[in-house]
Amino acid sequence: MRKQRTKTALSLMVIAALAMAGCNSGAGNGNEAAPKATADQSVSKDGFPIVQEPVKLSMFTRIAPVNGPFKDMPVFQDYEKLSNVQVEFTEAPTDGFQEKKNLLFASNELPDVMYRSGITQLEAIRYGSGGQLIPLEDLIRDYAPNFNKLMDEYPEIRAGITTPEGHIYAIPGIVTLSAARTDKKWINQAWLEKLNLKVPETTDELYDVLVAFRDQDPNGNGQKDELPLTARVGLSVVTMMSGSFGLDQQFGYNINLENDKVEIWMGSEQNKEMLMYLSKLYADKLLDQEVFSHTEAQFLAKQGSGKTGMFFDQTNNNFLPISDQYIGIAPPAGPHGDRMQSQTAPIPRDFGAYAITSVNKYPEISMRWVDYFYSDEGSTLLRFGREGEHYELKDGIPYYKEEYSTSETQPKITPYAGGGAPHLISEHVASYINPPQVQEAQKALDPYMPAIRYAAPMFDEATAQKVNMLRNDIDKYYEEQSTKFIAGALSFDKWDEFQATLQKMNVEELQQIYQEAYDKMEK
Amino acid sequence: MNKAEIHNTAAAPRFRREPGRRLVRQIARRYDLYLMLLIPVTWYLVFHYGPLYGLQIAFKNFNPGKGILGSSWVGFEHFQRFFDSYYFWRLLWNTLSINLFSLLIAFPVPIMLALLINEIGSKRYSKLLQNVTYIPHFISVVVIVGILTVLLSPSGPVNMLIQALGGTPTRFMESAAWFKTIFISSNIWQNMGWQSIIYIAALSGINPQLYEAAKMDGASRIRRIWHVSLPGIIPVIVILLILDIGQFMNIGFEKILLMQNNLNLESSDVISTFVYTTGILKGEYSYTAAIGLFNSLINLTLLLLVNRFARKTSDTSLW
Repeated sequence: MRKQRTKTALSLMVIAALAMAGCNSGAGNGNEAAPKATADQSVSKDGFPIVQEPVKLSMFTRIAPVNGPFKDMPVFQDYEKLSNVQVEFTEAPTDGFQEKKNLLFASNELPDVMYRSGITQLEAIRYGSGGQLIPLEDLIRDYAPNFNKLMDEYPEIRAGITTPEGHIYAIPGIVTLSAARTDKKWINQAWLEKLNLKVPETTDELYDVLVAFRDQDPNGNGQKDELPLTARVGLSVVTMMSGSFGLDQQFGYNINLENDKVEIWMGSEQNKEMLMYLSKLYADKLLDQEVFSHTEAQFLAKQGSGKTGMFFDQTNNNFLPISDQYIGIAPPAGPHGDRMQSQTAPIPRDFGAYAITSVNKYPEISMRWVDYFYSDEGSTLLRFGREGEHYELKDGIPYYKEEYSTSETQPKITPYAGGGAPHLISEHVASYINPPQVQEAQKALDPYMPAIRYAAPMFDEATAQKVNMLRNDIDKYYEEQSTKFIAGALSFDKWDEFQATLQKMNVEELQQIYQEAYDKMEK
Repeated sequence: MNKAEIHNTAAAPRFRREPGRRLVRQIARRYDLYLMLLIPVTWYLVFHYGPLYGLQIAFKNFNPGKGILGSSWVGFEHFQRFFDSYYFWRLLWNTLSINLFSLLIAFPVPIMLALLINEIGSKRYSKLLQNVTYIPHFISVVVIVGILTVLLSPSGPVNMLIQALGGTPTRFMESAAWFKTIFISSNIWQNMGWQSIIYIAALSGINPQLYEAAKMDGASRIRRIWHVSLPGIIPVIVILLILDIGQFMNIGFEKILLMQNNLNLESSDVISTFVYTTGILKGEYSYTAAIGLFNSLINLTLLLLVNRFARKTSDTSLW
């Protein structure tokens, strides 16, 4: 019986959802013809409230496992009073979020706003040109002074979010604080001292240090329970180490940029060297054996367990109780002397943090509503809540009060925890994520940051489709094979075959498309 | 000549109308039964035939903003893309092989179990055995996969045993070579009891006189199973086989998805999971609708073939 249902569900799953949607959308659109903004609902260009008579907006949002309900967050309670805009959130958990978001678009049952929904470049182009997301460039000019100012200050923002036709379909979270754009390389300083080891300066030294961590019982409990190196699930360890092998991460992809030449490096010799290095770490049990299967929660627990030698993360928030044991180190130099922090996000870090849909009756109000969070004042409200109750000012900088500065309580009061909220992250609002220890760790990375970081380019619709088709095959293949190379399930004898298959999947063509996008950008 | 023809054509509808009128009369007489029939018929129309309308997106570039009708036609482009895809042969082979092996290995097991239970003399013991074997059916797939992961992990009991016997531990869940074995054998463990119920019911319908007569003739236990029990349930076996073939291409989507990882993808990547990851997660509705349609067509072809084969060889078939 279940099989029967599964069968039906599978062969017709997509189609069924769409057909149902088809029936509904007609009726839905009829209702949209309701009265346009009347005089009372006209939007004021500056100051608060945004409107005289309260209006309602429905927003779809992602809710991280650490967050509480959005309606209980001080920022949304206070901002509703301030702005006269009532927001009704539909919260979808991070697990399975992509699925819910896609079904929302496919069934055309849209909310007014996609808030913190991680709209991808492809989605912005696809749904923007399909008319489900509205172009925002004029609204930004007229109703988003704060965001506009940021765009003028950092030209890469505009370049990173504007389509070749000149449209902006989604606005990103802006990160001007460089420490919030990198994952630090945290190493257990206490263990290094105990074993009389220096901070590793090269990948070979790093290997020796990890071996010592594994064998010499640095935590002194008589058991070999140390975990020398771990990372987020999957191939994130590749992103963290690639800079030591001369492999950059331009355009949000596996791309090196040298002398105006775009090179996709997946089939390169350097990548082979890196994968061989990582596979040696894995085979010698220096790299976490669960690195391809553990969950985010398990990874975070390993950070705080006191049994871990080295890992990568943006802040020290997840191992605060034992944070004095760790320091952030510079990227180790690779076999050819390469030394780079290639894992670095661009200033418009969270693409697609906020988008307005075609059913929204108050696009101007929606734009003004979000713009406030691109000011230090609004960002403080979003990240810290109410002064006196949740935070205190010291030298003009907000700090959480004691009871709101633990990893349990803090994410409940702010929607930024869990990532991807549309707002500005500047020095001013970073006391929690950028304490002195993190600043020190960032200083270790600073000399090795790439001179310029290009965000993923915006393609026109046809090119975006093409890129998507190419990358669907290539990325799937690359991820699968890299995992197998590292885990030792595939021998490096097969490297030629790996290269040949990448060629067969037209990686050249993909490289050409990125090259053209770069050329256009530079002109 | 002409006249006769005209006469014939005129007469024909009258003959055809006759049974129609009878049907109407029948419906009127038994309207209550037909009202009840209306519920499943509506269900089929709304949930099984209605959605067929959306199938057209397999031949279009579906854009939700423009709707199903408004999207532009592209012909067989999506099918072409799938057939040319690097993953086509791997997907097809995995889908076919997992199901073929399931059918070959897993299909006979419940039959043997039913025969076994049928032969047990002690009523209490056979009931106990039946219960013990069918309880796993009620465990959810997620839990089953969780159990498998714990049992087969590098530090789990199975590997401890292997190590104690002097072997080297194997990463079962992350090995392409082991995937199909684990998938199929855990399926058998979970479902054999449940699937054997129908056979047990069929076995209990066999006239006991046949057994007694066979006994009188000096037939051994094996002979009685071979000549009395098995022929007695052959029709049931054939029907269940055809039904199984009917979902040949679709078995175990949830379980495969849960067991899948990059290290065993080589043998765990099947059409249904590919449709899910590409269609629902990446929003390629038209492409995956085409793949789904292709999948269903293979299914339908298999079903027709097997049904025909069964009708020819054993007089038992669905239609």
